[in-house]
Formats: sequence, structure tokens, C-alpha cells
Amino acid sequence: MKLLKTTLAIGLSAATALAAPAIAGGTLRLDEVAVGELDPAKASDYADSILMFNVYDTLVLPVQGGPGHAPHLAESWESDGNSFTFTLRDDVNFQSGNPLTADDVVFSLERMKALGAGLSYLFGVVESAEATAPSTVRFNLSSPYAPFVASLVRLPIVDRKLVMENLGEGDGEMGDWGQAFLSANGGGTGAYRVVSHNPQEETVMEKNRDYFLDIAEAAPDTVRLRYGLEASTVRTLIATGEHDISSQWLPPEVMGALAREGAQLFTESGTGAFYLKMNTTKPPLDDVNCRRALSAAFDYQTAIRMIAITEDVSAGSPSTGAIPVGMFGANDGSMVQVQDLDGAREYLAACGHDPAEMDIEISWIAEVPLEERFALLFQSNLAEIGVKSHIRKLPWALFSEQVSKPENTPHISQLFVNAVTGDPDTLLYGMYHSSTPGTWQSPEYLSDARVDEYLDAGRNASATDAREEAYSILNARLMEIAPTIYGYDRQSVFAASDRVRAPALSDPAYAFGLDGMGFSFRLMEVAED
Amino acid sequence: MPAVLRLLARRLGISLIVLAGVSMLIFGIARVIPGDPARIALGPNATGEQVAGLRQALHLDDPVAVQYGHFVADLLRGDLGVSLYTNRPVTLDIAQFLPATLELVLFAGVLMVGIGLPLGMWSASQRGRWPDHLIRVVSLLGVSAPSFVWAVMLMLMFAFFLPVFPIAGRITDSFEITRVTGFLLIDTLLAGNGAAFVDALRHIFLPAFALAVSGIGQAARLTRANMVETYDRPYIEMARAYGFPAGRIAAKYAFKPSLIPSLTIIGLDFAAMLGNAFLVEAVFAWPGLSRYGVAVILRKDLNAIIGTVLIISATFLIVNLIVDLLIAFLNPRIRHSERGAR
Repeated sequence: MKLLKTTLAIGLSAATALAAPAIAGGTLRLDEVAVGELDPAKASDYADSILMFNVYDTLVLPVQGGPGHAPHLAESWESDGNSFTFTLRDDVNFQSGNPLTADDVVFSLERMKALGAGLSYLFGVVESAEATAPSTVRFNLSSPYAPFVASLVRLPIVDRKLVMENLGEGDGEMGDWGQAFLSANGGGTGAYRVVSHNPQEETVMEKNRDYFLDIAEAAPDTVRLRYGLEASTVRTLIATGEHDISSQWLPPEVMGALAREGAQLFTESGTGAFYLKMNTTKPPLDDVNCRRALSAAFDYQTAIRMIAITEDVSAGSPSTGAIPVGMFGANDGSMVQVQDLDGAREYLAACGHDPAEMDIEISWIAEVPLEERFALLFQSNLAEIGVKSHIRKLPWALFSEQVSKPENTPHISQLFVNAVTGDPDTLLYGMYHSSTPGTWQSPEYLSDARVDEYLDAGRNASATDAREEAYSILNARLMEIAPTIYGYDRQSVFAASDRVRAPALSDPAYAFGLDGMGFSFRLMEVAED
Repeated sequence: MPAVLRLLARRLGISLIVLAGVSMLIFGIARVIPGDPARIALGPNATGEQVAGLRQALHLDDPVAVQYGHFVADLLRGDLGVSLYTNRPVTLDIAQFLPATLELVLFAGVLMVGIGLPLGMWSASQRGRWPDHLIRVVSLLGVSAPSFVWAVMLMLMFAFFLPVFPIAGRITDSFEITRVTGFLLIDTLLAGNGAAFVDALRHIFLPAFALAVSGIGQAARLTRANMVETYDRPYIEMARAYGFPAGRIAAKYAFKPSLIPSLTIIGLDFAAMLGNAFLVEAVFAWPGLSRYGVAVILRKDLNAIIGTVLIISATFLIVNLIVDLLIAFLNPRIRHSERGAR
């Protein structure tokens, strides 16, 4: 028996030594829950954004640590309100070796609009794009659209020549517009090139040594973006040093446990919030005083405690109003919302519906278990002011179908919403403009002429000051009519090993204010093993 | 025609009918799951026009019977459509992910047979003694806890506290193995890379063992119960009276008749492992078809759901066919009853 044990131990040790070669230095390993979509015209969620921001480049980039946008593939731009003309850099090549030209920019826009997927709706306002010179491109808009420059962070530039050489079967001259090719291969100018893409497992990328900007030597040579890892697996992998950065979807308890064991916590904030959206067409929430009563009853402080990961880091910060702190028109950080039960009772008394007959339906999205905790919290808050409620779990697919009709939409819909370009227009217009009711973002079914007016002003004004003023007034109006309970400003948190440095995810002075852009690998540093 | 061939032909015919039924059933069920596949595929930010365009492209606005007609016509051409989850042909996804699951399940099957049957035999031969009691308790424990619990426990024990096995994936990243069969244990041997073979073996062991634990317990308990019953038969008494060695009595006279019911259950367990594998695949980040199947169901990816279910059903039927043939081989009465049935 002893001989057997000894033999097994020696065999196992030998096998371990034989089979586990040292990991190559400079490899960054991270994970995302959803499979990353490589085709940049279809990119919409977080994993897609990480791939897009590393494999492709855009004409402009958000300014790190501040408002506005800076030239990136573009050298400069000018605008007369209805058209924007960009002059491109002349030192940029695609990963294929093809030089970047204005034709590539035009092609990228036309391709995105033709496919009609991802965030292509952002460019619905663009009537045409034309290459007026080899390195000059003009976008003609159908109407003034102030957030246009911000939208360009979602227009990755693809290699026209490469795509044309790899068109797949499809209707018309352009076939499949290169969808099959770009779903499995890179076709950009980005700092990282795709080595392999297995949707069930991982996407492997390597540093593009010919990138037009300098990349730090310490930036990862190889990146492995893994998909669909379980929380328990990620926790074990990070603890054993086999993984570097978790996704933001780890339960707070797991994040906390990793932090206690020495993991860093990276954060990304300023682009979205957690909302409890009230169906303003459904009694009793068609009465503004009822909505105000519910808003005042919500326990904002407890909500913040529920998402705390450590004493210093939380998955959110207190809400100050309808617009998250850091965006145009946001209230001062000191104006945090607090629970006011006396105020809630006063509003309830002024409400035209009898509180005794109310039965508020609080829904939560089945795929986001955290929302159940908020549903339970809100139910107990409502009980404190004598309002009956019931909780309903809705799978996302069912929820998105139900909200298409106001009568099927629950009283309360809990949602996390982000501004996809970092501009408040992409956060608020889809939620509150009366022309966009009945989507997953707008279960409020709000129809308010003044809100429409301020949203249009924010969209059309060209001067930054004028936009900021429009959104400030909008913020005040939204607080007054209370279509939504503004739960907290959301902050994405990622657990990371101590071998990674990511200033864009750890220092506000380097933050981009755009979801996923903090994962620009060229700006990260990884210690060698 | 030999009896076994007749049995084979008959079972193959039944299998084809079952597959056609499964395809119709899953086609119908997939369409009544709540949610619009086009909306889910395009994401929450897609506009109504985008969703409508994709619905039209996928024929989702046609009557279900017409949709099924499109499906069958494509299937006969070997085209299962494109997955909205991976944006690749479903056939390509299945070809890539199926070998990983089959390798895992086959290895788990080997563990189930290789550990479960000997344990059952030993337990029966030690009836009423402490090894028998121990094996019965351990077997019961194995059967009563689901495989994902074993997966997490094994990971904690042998990858976290005692880091002797890897946690995730099929092979260490630095090994570049040409995929010939898709079974890494075979491909590494074909490549003549012993280190990679050992590495693949270390990667597969924990997930396969977690998947097999329940089956091992089941096989051990069943084998023990059947052998204990067989040990009470007069011909065993006679063998003992003749002074045959205990090992020979166990292997030759007690085990073979006891194997038939065990084999039936092992066949069913093996097929069940295909379905249960998704939890183990999720925990160990095993890039297999079961995990893919769950992901596509959650995203209501119709083409991929149907493709995955059809492949798993076909595998289930093939395994059952093999088990039936084995049983017929072991038990002549079944072969003869087939002849009688004709």
C-alpha cells in the first residue's frame, strides 16, 4: 500500500512537471460572460466592445479623465452643424498592411448601415458619407445632431480592401458584406490582432507591433479573452494565479472574497445607472403624486449597502438625480437622494388613488439575480407606507416582449441602462422621448412635452454650454414628474490579480467614461511570470 | 438474415422514426418558448426595423408548418442554418464542440465501468463485511449528490487546496496540437506528444470523474445487488461444493448473469451524462456541446437548439443501440425472442 502511494505520488509529480510548461510572459487572461462578437458592425455588449476597441480604431476617442473627444484615426475635424469633415492621419495602416484611406471610413459606415445590427441606429441621422480626398471624409447629416462626434466612438473603421477580397454569399453585389469573414477574423488597424476566435472558449489576440501609436513594452503580448466561466471557476482561477481580470458579473460576495485574499478591484463608472421604472400609464402610477410617493419611499442608503464589495469599493454610488454624476446636466455629487417616509406618506395622501386598493407589481429580470434583492427591499419599503405589492420574476425575453404594450408592462421594471457612447443623449432620449415608447429602455411610457423639448434641445444645440443647460433643466423636470426611481449610479467592478496595472480602470484621471474602453490593452501593463 | 442483423435493422428503423418525431417536437417547443429570437439575437439596442428585418430573413413570420418545411429542406442538404449565438453555421459549431463532450462522456463512461463494476463485484464478494458496508455508503453518497456538486467539491479539493489538477479547459494553452479527431487524448498521441497527452489527461480527469461519480455509485450498487442474488443460486453452491476458487466463481459464474441489468442501466446513465454534462462543462470551462446547448436555449437560438437536440438524441439512440446489441450478445434468449417476434 505504501509502495502504491509512493509510486502514485512520484507519478503525479512527474506528470505535473512534464505537462505544465511555464506560461509565456506578458499574457493577460480575462473573461466575459457573453461571447464576444468580432464583427464590429454588430458589436453592442461589453465583450463585443472589448474586442472592438482593441482590434479596431475609431476616428475619435473620449478624452481620458475629462469631457469631450480627441482625434484618433482623424487628425482634426470641422463642422457646420449639418456636416462634419474629418482629415485622417497619413501614417496608419491596417493589420493587413493596407493603408487607411477615406474610402475605408465611407465603407465602414455604409456596411454598418446595410447590416442594420448592433449600434447602427446611432448613425440613422447620417444621410451620406463621401471621400472628398484620399484622406478627407465628410458626413452629411439630415438634421443637426450634437452627439454625432460622440457616436463616432461606435464606428470602427474596417479594412475595405480586405473585406472586398473576402465577401461571402448573399443577396446583391456586396454578398454578405464580409460578415462570415469578420465574425472569425480581424480587419482593423487596432493595437491587437486576432490569433484565434472560438465562441465557446476564448478569443486570443496578440500585440500588433506595427500599430501607429507607441505601445508600452509592458503591455500584454498575448491576451486571452475567455467566455462563460462560472463564478466559482473564476474565483479559483484568480486565487491560483491562472487568471488576471474577472468580468463585472461576479456576485459581490465573490468579489469581496477575492479582495480579502489580495485581489485588486478595478472600476469603470459614469455611464449608467440602476433604475426602477414606473409605468406612467397604469393606475395608480398615472398620478404624479403616487410616483413621487414611491420615489420617496425607496431606501436608497440600504440599496447602496447591498452592493458594497469592500468598505471602499461598491458597485454603485448614491444617485443624485436622473443623470449619473459625470455626465452633462448631472446634479452635484452632494445632492444624494435619501429615503423620506414622511414625505412619501404626504405624497400618497395627495394621490388620486386609494392606497388601500393598490397592488403594485414589482418585476425583476430573471437573468439578474441581484434585482430580486432590490425587489424585496422595495416591497418592504412600500409596506412601510401601507402599500401592498407583489414581486414577479420575468425572463429577459418575456420582459422585452411584454413592454411593447403599456397594459402588459409591469408597474415597476428594474433595469440597468448605460449610455452606449457616454453622451446623455444615448441614455435619456430612448428612455423618455415620447417618440420612443414601449422598448426595454422605456417601460415608463412617458409622454411629457417639456421633457421632449429639453431632449431635443440637448440633441440639437451645438454649443457645449447650451447642451449642459438643456440637460440640467431636463434633470430637474424628470425629478419633478418622477417617471423613474433613480436607484444608484452604476459602477462596474472587476477583480484583478496583482500582476496587472490598468490606469484607465483604477485612476479617474485616466478613465474614458465609456463602457469597455478601459480595457484598451495597449494602455495596460502585465508583469511577466 | 442473422438474428443480430435483424435486431439491428429493426432498431435502426425505430431510431429514424424517433429522430423525425424529436425534430418535430423540438421545432414546435422551440417556437413556444417566450421571447423573440430576432430581438434576443440583435440585442436590446436594436431598433424595431432591425428586428423585423431579421425575422423576415429567418422566415419567422411564416406559418410554423412552412418554417418546418424550410428546416427539413435545409436539413436534407446538410444545412442546419446559422447560429445567432456564435454567428457561424450550426454544423460547424457542432463539429467543433461535439468531440469535446463525447471525449468527456466516453472517459466518464470508462471510469464508470472501470470503477463501478469492480467495486460492485468486490462489495458482493465481501457481503456483510466492512468493505461491503463502506462501498455501499460511498455508492449511496455518489448517487445522491448531483454532478455539479461533485464538480465544485473536486475543484476545491484537487485544484484549489491541493493544486494537482488544472481547473479549466482541455489542454494547457502552450500546447499546439493539430486537431484530427477532435479527441485530444487521441490527437496528442497521434502527434506523438507525450507531455501534451499527460496534460490532456490531467485536464479531463476531474470533470470526467465529477460526471461519473453518480454512475459509478449506481453501477456498483446494481452490480452488488445482482451478484448477491446470483450468489444465492444453486449452481453457485454447486461450484463452491466442487471447490472452485472464489475469484473464478465471482468472474465466471456470478458476474456474467449479473451484468445484463447493469449494462442496461450503464447505457441509460451514459446517455444521461450527455445531458448532465453541461453543469460539469460550465464549472470546468469545458468547451463542449452540452454547454453550447444550454447557451443557445437561453438565447432562443432556434437553429442551434434544434441542431444540438438532434445530435444529442442521435447519440442517445446510438448508445442504446450498442447496449441492446451487447445485451443480445450476452443473452441468447433475447436473440431468440427477436426471432420469435418475427
